[in-house]
Amino acid sequence: MAPTDTPLRTQAEIAARVKALESMLIEKGIMTTEAIDRLAEIYENEVGPQLGAQVVARAWTDPEFKARLLADASAACAEMGIGGLQGEEMVVVENTDAVHNAIVCTLCSCYPWPVLGLPPNWYKAPAYRSRIVREPRKVLAEDFGFPVPDDVEVRIWDSSSELRYWVLPQRPAGTEHLGAFELAALVTRDSMIGVGPVGTP
Amino acid sequence: MRSDTTELGDARRRVEALVCDLPGGNVDERMFAEPWELRAFSMAVAAYHNGKYEWSEFQLSLIQAIRQWEEGNAGEPWSYYEHWLTALESVLADNGVLSDADVDARTREVLAVPRNANHHEAHREPVAVSPARG
Repeated sequence: MAPTDTPLRTQAEIAARVKALESMLIEKGIMTTEAIDRLAEIYENEVGPQLGAQVVARAWTDPEFKARLLADASAACAEMGIGGLQGEEMVVVENTDAVHNAIVCTLCSCYPWPVLGLPPNWYKAPAYRSRIVREPRKVLAEDFGFPVPDDVEVRIWDSSSELRYWVLPQRPAGTEHLGAFELAALVTRDSMIGVGPVGTP
Repeated sequence: MRSDTTELGDARRRVEALVCDLPGGNVDERMFAEPWELRAFSMAVAAYHNGKYEWSEFQLSLIQAIRQWEEGNAGEPWSYYEHWLTALESVLADNGVLSDADVDARTREVLAVPRNANHHEAHREPVAVSPARG
């Protein structure tokens, strides 16, 4: 029997148990990582990104919060009850008229999952991890259909287990009348990775 | 890089057809709050697709896990996916796939690996900059 008799398990312990179980089932040939990823993909948009979207919407509507978010993203997210299990440091990089940011993990798949949920498969794939660093403009334009204007600098930020980046996209024009709830609905996962636009109202 | 939404939609409908008969079925409970919950959910469906157990066995196992929580374990807060994980481990153990002790041992190994084992340097500057042109 599974250990229902143990007292409160921490989320980190449960996450480790799930990871252990997954690795054992894969070793035994009972399932493949791809099969699990494929199933997870069906739901991945329901985990996480809406939390990041709420943070972005608040930053757009509350300048003091935005200042705190850019100064210390982990602390600002904690104000909203959003945080990691292991206290990884999160850093938010802000898009402006002059600078566009995108994130990657060049070595594996470090990702700010407390705010963005699970990383999409392409984020974990070697192709994205290497090419976004070598030819960022080309990857954004060709792979994501999201060209960055020539007069805007592109910066690519490498997440690690110590430090995880994510992007504060620009508030779209014509949304002055919208409240935080409606604004959050415009914020996409890809816009917080830096490979796609926010929605339009 | 983009998924075929129709194919995804079909895949999702097939999964929904499986889970609609399970206990604890309201939508709020089913929402995933943590990445591990989605992994556990996906594993149960994948192992079933692989023919490791009948879906009805998993269903019974989940009912039992929830009943155990209801009957005891005072102080443990409700977590749908903890019951889900318990049910998955039980049904795998019942079918001789793996034992609780095996999972315990592997879990200790996972916890013992430092989280920065292979990737510990924080990069505080961009790894690539493509300056504005013109």
